[in-house]
This record gives sequence, C-alpha cells and structure tokens, in this order.
Amino acid sequence: MGSWTITKWELKGTLQSKKFLLIFFFQLMVLVGMIIFFNGFMASIESQQGLTLSPSLNQFASVEVVDPQSIIKNQMNPQILEITPNTKDGALNNLNRGAVTGVLIVGTLNNSDLANIQPLQAEMLIDYSDPKRSVVRYEVQMAHDKAAYLISQQWMNSLVPVETANEPQIQQETQGESLPLQLITKIMTAILLFLPLFLFGNMVIDSLVGEKERRTAEILIAMPISRSYIVLGKCLAVIITMALQSALWIMIMIMAGFPLENPFLVYLIVILTAVPIVGLTAIIAAYSKNYKEAGIGISFAYIAIVGFLIVPALAYVSQQGKYVSMSTMTLAIKVFSQEAISWGDIILPLALLLLISIISYGITIRLYKRDDIIFGPRPGLLKLIIELLGIKKV
Amino acid sequence: MRSSTNMIEIKSLTKRFGKIVALQQLNLDIKKGELLGIIGPNGAGKTTAIRIISCILHPDEGDVLVGGYHIGQNPLEIKSMIGYLPEEPNLYERFKAYDLLKYFGELYGVPKEDLDSRIEELLELVGMKHRAQHRINTFSKGLRQRIAIARALIHDPEIIIFDEPTMGLDPATAMNIREFIAGLKGDKTILLCTHYMDEADLLCDRVAILNQGQILDMGTPHELKSKIHGDIILNIGLKDPSLIEISTLEQVCPVENIAWQKDQLYMSLSSREDIASIVEFLGSNVQSIHTKEPTLEDVFIQTVSNLPENIE
Repeated sequence: MGSWTITKWELKGTLQSKKFLLIFFFQLMVLVGMIIFFNGFMASIESQQGLTLSPSLNQFASVEVVDPQSIIKNQMNPQILEITPNTKDGALNNLNRGAVTGVLIVGTLNNSDLANIQPLQAEMLIDYSDPKRSVVRYEVQMAHDKAAYLISQQWMNSLVPVETANEPQIQQETQGESLPLQLITKIMTAILLFLPLFLFGNMVIDSLVGEKERRTAEILIAMPISRSYIVLGKCLAVIITMALQSALWIMIMIMAGFPLENPFLVYLIVILTAVPIVGLTAIIAAYSKNYKEAGIGISFAYIAIVGFLIVPALAYVSQQGKYVSMSTMTLAIKVFSQEAISWGDIILPLALLLLISIISYGITIRLYKRDDIIFGPRPGLLKLIIELLGIKKV
Repeated sequence: MRSSTNMIEIKSLTKRFGKIVALQQLNLDIKKGELLGIIGPNGAGKTTAIRIISCILHPDEGDVLVGGYHIGQNPLEIKSMIGYLPEEPNLYERFKAYDLLKYFGELYGVPKEDLDSRIEELLELVGMKHRAQHRINTFSKGLRQRIAIARALIHDPEIIIFDEPTMGLDPATAMNIREFIAGLKGDKTILLCTHYMDEADLLCDRVAILNQGQILDMGTPHELKSKIHGDIILNIGLKDPSLIEISTLEQVCPVENIAWQKDQLYMSLSSREDIASIVEFLGSNVQSIHTKEPTLEDVFIQTVSNLPENIE
C-alpha cells in the first residue's frame, strides 16, 4: 500500500511537471523524425538510383570501345566505367582530345580461329595524363580475363559436349530481403522499440539521488514504510512512465508502417526489459552522491546494457553466434518478424531478466537501507562491495 | 506493550560515523506527556539521537524503546507513533501545500474519509489555510516551517520530535512556533532539540544537556539553574580589579563560581540579601552593579566548562 502511494504520487508529480511533459513530447517528436529519416533511407535503397553512403566509383572513368562482337565489352563493369562503342577513328580522335581515359580496340573471332587456337587480338590505348588510367587498365584487364575464360570454356565444350541438363541450375533468390536490408530493417525497428527504456534514467536519478540532494529522503525514511517499498515504489513509477512512452512509440511505429507483428507481445517484452534496466540504474542512483556522479555512472552502465541487448540481436540477424537468444531484443525481433521461436528462445532471456532484476533491486534496497549511503560518510566502492558480499561484517 | 509511564527509553545508545563517535552510551527516559528538551552545541549528537529514536538511523550499540516497541524490531510501529520535524523543513518544492499534506497523510495511513478534514484542521491551526493551493517553492522559510509542522502532525502522533524548530526564523515567527509547541504540551509527548537555551527554558518540563554524545546533566530548568548558580548572578564593575582578593571576598559571604572578565566580576549568590555586604566590602572600588536571574545558557556554559578536557 505504502509502495503504491509512493508510485502514485511520483507519477502525479512527474506528469504534472511541465518540464517533464515537454521532454516527453519532444522524445515523441524525435521518434517521428527518426521514422521519417528511416523511411527516406529505405526508399532510397529500394529505388533504382540507390543510396550511396560510401565513396563511389560509379562511372568513374570513360572508355570508348571498338569491339564488333562485344567479346570484351560485355565483360566490362558499366557501374565503374562509362563504356561507349565507337569506330576506331572516332575513338582515337576522342582520346587525342582528352575526352576519354582510354580506347579498347578488339579484333574479331570466328569458329575457325577458335579451332586453330588463334589468339584474340586486342589493343588498349590509355591517356597517361589522366590519373584515372589505373582504374581503366585494371577494369579492362579484368574484363579481358573473364572473356578469355569464357572463350576457353566455349572451346572446351566444342571438344567435349556437355549435356546441359546435367549442369547445375542456379536459381536466383528473388523473394525476401538481402542480409544488409534485414540488418537495417530489423535492427532499426528493434532499436526504436527499446529506445524509450534509455530515456528515463534521469527520472530514476531524480527519485533517488534527488531525495538525497534535496534532503527529503530523511522525512521519507521517517514514514512508516519499509525502505524496500520506497525503492520499489519509486522504480515502479519510472517503469510505468516508460511503459506509457513505449506504448505511444509502438503505436506511432505501426502507423508509420513498420512491419510489427504481435505488437502486444513485443510491448510486453519491451516492458519486461525495462524492469532490470531501471533496477541497474537504481543501483547507481542509490550509491551516487549527486546528479553529476549518477549521470556519469548511468552513461557507462547504459553502454554495457545496450551492448548486452544489441550484440546478440545483431549476431542473430547476421545468422552468427551461439548465444543470440540471451537478449530480449532478439526475442522481440523474432516475435515481430513472426519467426520460429523455441522454448529456449523465451526461457533464456526471461530468466536473465529475472536474475538481473532480483540482483539489481536487491543491491539497491541493501544500499538504501544503509545509513552511510543516505546520510554519509559514504563508503568507498571496494569497501562497499566487500561488505555487500558479506566478506567483512558491516 | 507499554510497561511503564516512560514513552521513550534510551539505553546505552552508541552511534559512530566512521571514526567519529556521535553518541556514546547515551541513557535517557522521556515520560508520557512530557516535553523534554535536549540542548547542546552543534555536533553534540542531538540530531543523531532523534534520528535513531525516529528509526531513521540504526544504532551501533544499545537499544531504544518507543511506546514499548524496540526500534530494531518494530520500526514501522514506532514511525507511526512519531511526528518528526527535521532541522530543515525539506519539503517537496513542486507540491502544493494541500497536496503535500495529503501525500504524507496517505503515507502515514490516515483514513481517506478523515484526511481532508484533518488537512483543513491543520492548515487552520498553522495559519496556512489561505495558502493551501500554493506551491511550496513560493513560501518563505517561516511558512515552510509551518507546513512542515502540519506535515509532522498530520497523523495525530502520540510523540512529536522537533529538531531546531525555530532555527533561522525571524523573532516573530519563532515566537509563533514556540507558542504553538507550548499549546501541544500535556497532550503529546514532545522531544525538542534546540541550541536556543531560552527556548528550552521557556517550553521544557525537563532539559538534558548533551555534549559530545553524552548527557552531562538533566533536570527541570529550575533545578539545573539552581544547581549551578544558586538564585542570582551578581555582576560588579570595578575601577581597579587588582585591589580585590577573592579569598577575602569569600569570607564576607557565601559566593560561588567567581569569574573575571576584564574589570567585571561575576559571582553566584544564594540570596539577594548578600549583595549589600559585598558592596560594602568593595567600597568605593565599585563602578556598576547588575543582577540577573541565571539562565540555561549560564548553566550550559558552566556545565561544559567544567568538563575535564575544558579545564586547563
């Protein structure tokens, strides 16, 4: 009852705070902004033009080709080279004018040439004043090697005919997303789902460190409520606020067209993940002397927590690693993607959540029950750990 | 549960903060309905003692019984019996006065149906009814202290603990609060920690002098004052102090606690009638004569200065 009274009034105080409401809605605006950015990014990827975020060699250099049978021309990479067929005179003229980086002149090849193992005549002319010449030389060399291989194969086949029916039939997968796209979509969705859990650390700090700094902890401790209930009541208020924010985020994400199957289950996973995150934040807040110290501590802790959530999820999406199921983010991805889920996928992350929650709240409560933590002088971290582990009597 | 008329029994209480000993084998009893004052300088251990009684701090050694309950075994029952006003009001700034009282009323478990009327009653009592819907952060220190007192009384506690209730307040507000505390006497058991000796003198049934975590003396203000200084303190200004021999003066009449301050001579007398013989003895060397009733401040200074570590 006392715990719920604290939760109720913490929530009331929070929701009545104009500053909090401003931050709350600003966070929603940030989400909307991120969704717009993400959708623009995906649209660019899916368009023909594509989106290039890294330095590109697209049509880096120009080559004019005199290749009546397109023997080498067909093997050249049009994404790197701008390939223009031309007559020999026209091409040489353009090369002399500096209009192209190189000219490739390829002879013709007929069946008798093949049978007599006659070499294919090809001539490469490069503008040595052009710094792009090395790229042209390399690309033409590659195309030449490919053409040579194909000609050799053709000749070999003419000697020993192969039944085409026995040749391996390779069918290109046209359904589903490519791995990079899966990474982007699933991980981005998961990050957006879990992000609200990291936006309310300041609430935990204000609840626990703030009470110490404002010295209101003294009168709160004087109330006929156990200190455990005070800690749990305050943490519950933060979890409820996170749950509220998460619900709004999920609704916005669904409206924005994110592929979120089983949204209620996903929401439940997110909220369950909030419990140990608040607990870990509470340990830092309970031990810290002031806001500054707590802020620094929480920044470090959140890097570890994000790593713990996101690394297994990344490993899962890229289909690598053994312990991908330990993160609830992986579970959430499987749930919103409607993928096969085993009992192990559910039990392992939930058991970890439970374990971390018990440990983190247990430590926070033990800290909050100590006079030196609330009123000082605060013990050093090493001394405190030794005492908490029961190695040395408190 | 209660076995005696003592509402609070402190037995061999010791509390350390690191290497600092805040309380050292403290023993103290407070009777039901009594207003006991604890006086002492800053750092004497007053706040530590009342925080332990209020179950805010844990003792290192010893025990405290409040209303028959042990602080180590029944802290929640004890907390329900106590209304605690800390040294600083420490209120939630963002709350309105009314909401603050409601919050603490709920935490103390005041029945819902009684809470509103109780808040109204207390706001009326501390003269803050017109500010009920104002935020705490708009209040002056005096108003905050009034709200803090109302907060401490919200559950109608049997025991009220005031820690420096008038510290930092202007004389008028301090007087109001003293009058308010005086009004609570008899009905409640009150523990008042203060370093304003006149406040303790005015309000308390008994006073305990605490210094360096130990009770140096305890009794009614009158007992304490008479124990140290007798009935009256005589202050004589002298033209030439070198002409006076203390041993000769002591032969004239029974004087105690003779002390010099430059050309001022202080002494305690058990009777006013002795003044005439002293003046006669000093003769024309007398420049001025003042008399005053002994105060708790005199008692406190005398008690502390008599400690072995303070005697050169």
